[in-house]
Amino acid sequence: MERRLESTGLGEATSPPPAVAALRAAVRLWEVFAPFGLLALQLGLCVVVIYQFQIESRAFLHLSILTFFGFAVHYFLPLSLRLPFFLLLSLAGIGLVFGVANGAWLVALGLVLFGICHLPVSLRARVAVLLAAGALLAALRVDWLPVPWSAAVWPLLGSMFMFRIAVYLYDIRFEKEPAPWSQRLAYFFMLPNICFPLYPVIDYKSFRRTWHDRPQNEVIQVGLLWIIRGILHLILYRFVYTWCVIPATEVGSFAELARFMLTTFLLYLRVSGQFHLIIGMLHLFGFNLPETHHLYYLASSFNDFWRRINIYWKDFMMKLFYYPAFFELRKRGQTFALVVSTLFVFLGTWLLHSYQWFWLRGTFPLTLQDGLFWGILGGLVVANSLWEARRGRTRTLSRRRRTAAEAAGLAVRTTATFLAICVLWSLWNSESVVEWLSLWSAAARGGHPADLLWIPALFAAAIAVGEVWRRVARPAGAAGVNLHSVTLRSVAWIAVLTVIGLPQVYTRLGSRVASVVESLRQTRLNAEDEARLQKGYYEDLVRVDRFNSQLWELYMKRPVSWRSLLDTEAIAHTGDFAYVKLVPSVSLEVHGKPFSINGLGLRDAETTLAKPAGTTRIAMLGSSHVEGEGVGDGETIDGRLEELLDADAAGDFEVLNFGVSAYTPLEILYQLDQRVFDFEPDAIFFVAHAIDAEQVISRLAVKVRLGVDLPYPELVDAVRRAGIDRDTAQSVAKRKLEPLAPELIEWVYRSIVGRARERGIPAVWIYLPRTDERGDEAAVESLFARAHQTGFHVIDLRGIYEGIELEAIRVADWDTHPNAHACGIIARNIHAALTARRDEINLGGAGRAAAPAAAEALRDTETN
Amino acid sequence: LTVDQASEIRESVRSYILAEFLPGEDPSELRDDTPLITGGILDSIATLKLVGHLEETYGIELEAHEADLEHLNTISDISGLVQSKL
Repeated sequence: MERRLESTGLGEATSPPPAVAALRAAVRLWEVFAPFGLLALQLGLCVVVIYQFQIESRAFLHLSILTFFGFAVHYFLPLSLRLPFFLLLSLAGIGLVFGVANGAWLVALGLVLFGICHLPVSLRARVAVLLAAGALLAALRVDWLPVPWSAAVWPLLGSMFMFRIAVYLYDIRFEKEPAPWSQRLAYFFMLPNICFPLYPVIDYKSFRRTWHDRPQNEVIQVGLLWIIRGILHLILYRFVYTWCVIPATEVGSFAELARFMLTTFLLYLRVSGQFHLIIGMLHLFGFNLPETHHLYYLASSFNDFWRRINIYWKDFMMKLFYYPAFFELRKRGQTFALVVSTLFVFLGTWLLHSYQWFWLRGTFPLTLQDGLFWGILGGLVVANSLWEARRGRTRTLSRRRRTAAEAAGLAVRTTATFLAICVLWSLWNSESVVEWLSLWSAAARGGHPADLLWIPALFAAAIAVGEVWRRVARPAGAAGVNLHSVTLRSVAWIAVLTVIGLPQVYTRLGSRVASVVESLRQTRLNAEDEARLQKGYYEDLVRVDRFNSQLWELYMKRPVSWRSLLDTEAIAHTGDFAYVKLVPSVSLEVHGKPFSINGLGLRDAETTLAKPAGTTRIAMLGSSHVEGEGVGDGETIDGRLEELLDADAAGDFEVLNFGVSAYTPLEILYQLDQRVFDFEPDAIFFVAHAIDAEQVISRLAVKVRLGVDLPYPELVDAVRRAGIDRDTAQSVAKRKLEPLAPELIEWVYRSIVGRARERGIPAVWIYLPRTDERGDEAAVESLFARAHQTGFHVIDLRGIYEGIELEAIRVADWDTHPNAHACGIIARNIHAALTARRDEINLGGAGRAAAPAAAEALRDTETN
Repeated sequence: LTVDQASEIRESVRSYILAEFLPGEDPSELRDDTPLITGGILDSIATLKLVGHLEETYGIELEAHEADLEHLNTISDISGLVQSKL
């Protein structure tokens, strides 16, 4: 393009006639702007698709728009200004996404690290200073000291420097000619990085070497194809994530096990999609970087898999671990050096994954299944390497047609590799080795091992189709970039995606298709991750140290100091069936809000055990939602409800908060029996959630495993019938108890209603949806049916959050507890139901004759 | 080094690569600028074999950071690396 601009006719010896000159100028303009127009059109459509399908985050959409305009300017800049412009654009991206203050902190911290790399001292001294700086940052990362910047700065700072600084230091040692400062800085502050904490380890040498090493339009066109491929991967990922994944607990046959393993592996599409997007974006600015992933599902051996998946990581490990180790060890024999170096790479990969998690999330997970995964994969790659070192492998200079026998052999090897990686991947992503083993025993109960064969059968069929396509569409010949073909594919894909993303189109393709496309157009946690988010609270079992779950992104934003109430001095573990209790008279701050427990162990104002004369007392039972985790004193549901009822009845009501974090219906019943009636309540309010049945099963399994005495014969009988004991693995126990969940829930409900009736007081069952509830309608209906059957007065709060943004009603992105605003909504809706059904739900005491006028006035002062 | 010596190194390297990693391939297709690492011909194991061969043949010692794209991606690159060590 530059050459074209430079040869615009200036300085020609003779001037052509005006008409010819104008025509020539028009042709030259066309030659420059037509290719640009085609590239800009594709990029513009990419931005449209990113908007339509809400690819990644809103911040990424903003960054994409910035990229579009930056690309348009960059395209026409002289070469000398392009690197400074790219650096400025990257810094602008940081400001756009992070805001000025946090962006400035991020850049300042980065500049300090960068500056250390260039201190005028020896390499050893610079490494020592960097390690010291890293240790200080690590201490700050885990909140040992307060910092003036947002917690969100950490993952990005880590992402930019945790690996690249090692590559940079290594490479500048051998740099023959120093790169411009703008390029050095751009290496760390790369434009796409601000939206992708999980970032490929781009090699510094490649970053330098590939900059404008090919014609600009070719580099950009390849980049566009990769951006589109990345978008496709992310949409496919969303399809798998939303529609295909099944939780481990639902595996009951070999066919389901096969589905579980296959979809677990397919979730990696998220990472490959993001990496394609990132490298594609860098291509727009002249960085002709290589592919990060190459048809990794089609690897034909373990070495081939290692070479195809996350190629940048492999290259990073080769550069900093493998080759240095091999060169050091080769005096002791080539085979010895090869084996030890390869194992060194996999050991390093295991530890560095945890190191990466430390900077992204602030934790350093080292688990048995991680060690097994990397150990087994490392062992397989060593064996494969030894085989290749002795036997060699087939290499060719050009693409040639395979014989049928060769194709069949390749298909078998590819299928076998895929199957083995599926199995290994499922181990890596399991919550524990025991849970992974229990999957196999669960599968064995529900079918024949031959059912597993549908994975290889399906895969082999896909390979066969691919081979036919390869023979028809890609004739033998030299490999290389065919610009026309790349452009055609790119335009075709982005056009198809744009059209499919139009509501006017997909809504006419039938309701089923429309609902699938609609689901692909938004980022939401799937049912399993939502459940895990809840479970993470209840059981602290959620594994968000894997990239295959969207949860890790939520947890990444969470400050390290963000503690569950269960980890504070407000909660004491009882060691008996009650599980935990609130510690009387403790006051502290939780998530920046006052959290006070009265002398009677309730999260409530001080009161007396004996009911004050003339007061109507309501005992509100539940878990953390009722307790008010994440909201301040006085902002809890019971407190707001009491205000409304008092306004009705001139101060005659007292709603006591019996909510305790992590309580399931089992502990709630136990609490009712142990202490609630000592408070002489006039009504029992039981607050239920969709996950109650599952929680009952999980908690009972925990109690059995811990050997806790079961105070109810019904539970002893259920445990006996399920055939579990202290030695039964948790996941197995839950699976065995699962069929008993409905009857256990019914027993709890019947018990509560029975106790209330014995005392002549009403029992009210309040269904409270989670702030982001959706999904298992059948389970919720089942709870409703049991509540009705057992004689509860039922209050249905479904739909109370409709039309309200999630951010407005939850405590935080990673904490779905209702915030103060949501507690107000809940209380007003309960009050409205009580008012409307005053004759049916007889609260007794002074409240019975209450006039609702004052409450109406109070309610009207608040907005919904 | 003379032009002939440089050419000799290139031919020697070409012969080694053809014999060791590309048996049966048409020698004329392996040009001086054929990408060996990015083209998938030299993977890590092949790279280390080649390094061993170069060190043994030319009595030179290569360093770990030289086992990369910059120094070994083409026959010309390899030849240049060897020449710089002689």
